[in-house]
Amino acid sequence: MKKKGSLDFYLVLATVAVLFVISTICIYGMFYFKLAQIQQLAPAEKLVYMNRMNSVIAPFIIALILLLGICVPKRLLPAVWLNRFAIGLALIAGGVSLWFGVKTGLALVLAASLLLQLVVLALAVGGSQLLHFEKSGYWVRLGSSLIHLGMILFVLDLFFYHYQSLHLILFWITTGAVVLGMIFCFYSQSVVQFIRSIRKD
Amino acid sequence: MEILLPLASYSRTGHGLLLVLLVLAGLLGVSGGINLCRSAPLLPRTTSFLLAVVVLLFVAGFLGICWFHYQIFQQIALELPPPFAEMLNQQLSAMNQGAEYGLPLYRMDAPPRYMLPLWLENEKYYFWFMCYAAMALVGHLRLHQHRFRAALHLLLAVQVCILFFQADPFLAPLPRFFGEIGPWFTANMSDGQRFGLFMRLYPRMVFYYNAQYMWFHPPLLFLSYACITMTFTASVFMLAKRDLDMEILGYDFAKLGYFLLTLGMLLGYPWALKAWGPNWWWDPKICSSIMMWAIYSTYLHTRLYANKPAMWYFTSLLGVVCFLAMIFTFLSSFFFPGEHTFVG
Repeated sequence: MKKKGSLDFYLVLATVAVLFVISTICIYGMFYFKLAQIQQLAPAEKLVYMNRMNSVIAPFIIALILLLGICVPKRLLPAVWLNRFAIGLALIAGGVSLWFGVKTGLALVLAASLLLQLVVLALAVGGSQLLHFEKSGYWVRLGSSLIHLGMILFVLDLFFYHYQSLHLILFWITTGAVVLGMIFCFYSQSVVQFIRSIRKD
Repeated sequence: MEILLPLASYSRTGHGLLLVLLVLAGLLGVSGGINLCRSAPLLPRTTSFLLAVVVLLFVAGFLGICWFHYQIFQQIALELPPPFAEMLNQQLSAMNQGAEYGLPLYRMDAPPRYMLPLWLENEKYYFWFMCYAAMALVGHLRLHQHRFRAALHLLLAVQVCILFFQADPFLAPLPRFFGEIGPWFTANMSDGQRFGLFMRLYPRMVFYYNAQYMWFHPPLLFLSYACITMTFTASVFMLAKRDLDMEILGYDFAKLGYFLLTLGMLLGYPWALKAWGPNWWWDPKICSSIMMWAIYSTYLHTRLYANKPAMWYFTSLLGVVCFLAMIFTFLSSFFFPGEHTFVG
């Protein structure tokens, strides 16, 4: 049983809250699209609408990325260091955003999350006991690491939207990571049985 | 069109099969209603047998759809006379220059043919409900609780009624598709008009009907919809009474559904870029799908803490909300304009 006040629990609650807000904005976007008859607009006007909606949802995507930025190192660091890391990351991202723009600040958070997630993945592949996961089991940990890596890559992929070939390469890496991650995470017992049967043969 | 395809016999046979399905599913629905109200199970073996027969009939009908689509592939080709083919290829080459996704050139020896996916128009309901029937059979065999089984049967009966009365894929097969291509075979048109019609039909064939993503994106989503319906049924029972076997069954379907939903949504992304270009991101259907995915993600996250009493009920409640979000997402195609709309 988890402790009532555990950091994980509050992080999950925060993630749920952000996802709820994103869902609400999506529903608002649907009704606005219909009432304002966006589909009838000229491409340039449609682009203005898209940019406006992007700016509405951006703070919550930033919040989600920040939560991801905290969720990833929680597997590596003890709680005290995690708090320091989260505050440090938020301050640096805020500073960079002020000087170089929000996009650069976000890219920094994403890059830091990606780097840490790659470390987590490497440790998970090596079967390290240093990692703190909700669930035990080699394949579950590996799967969870891959899913979170996929999520970070997906948001990063949106940054490279205008670079067609890089964008699609990143997209397929994202898809591969998420699919493999879910198979390992959700069907870890079947994966173990499958590998055992291969080893026997 | 009747000269090219055996439309009447296909329609008659398919509709007859659907009628038999309606009768059997109706019987299951009646027994489901009675079993829901009783404390002891009524005719458990008979209902198991009926459910298995319903699944087999669904599969038989689906094989019929496969056969019909194969006939379309064999019989329907967009053939152009030789001088037009050359002109067309010059035009296509000019169009393809600088385009990110071009149209393949016309080949006289292999004129373009329709490789229609098996979940077009009303066929998508057939596929969706067939998947649900198969999953209901799995749930029926795994859990021996007669009220849970009854709820599965009732839902199946409702789906078959919708199929028969509102979305029969056999009665008038693929009306929109045949409406589009009909003029190609029936109208007495000049060569110039035929060329113009080809230029309207060909891009739609390449980017929609024959798109390889069409074989993955929609069926994965319909499979996930069927899983969500199973999770919903288990969640409703969980709200009434905490039961570990029920919870495990609901969670198993939730995991499968989430996997299929995520993969299906991801595979829609490169297809959308190819078919619509960049301006589709705030399309209503995309918004509602993201909303549904967010709720589903929340369900799986809260499930980690299902051993807490309050979270147990909250997770079950989210299982119900997921289903409502799925219905909302599906219906949004009828009421909201955009790239995914089913209307007009």
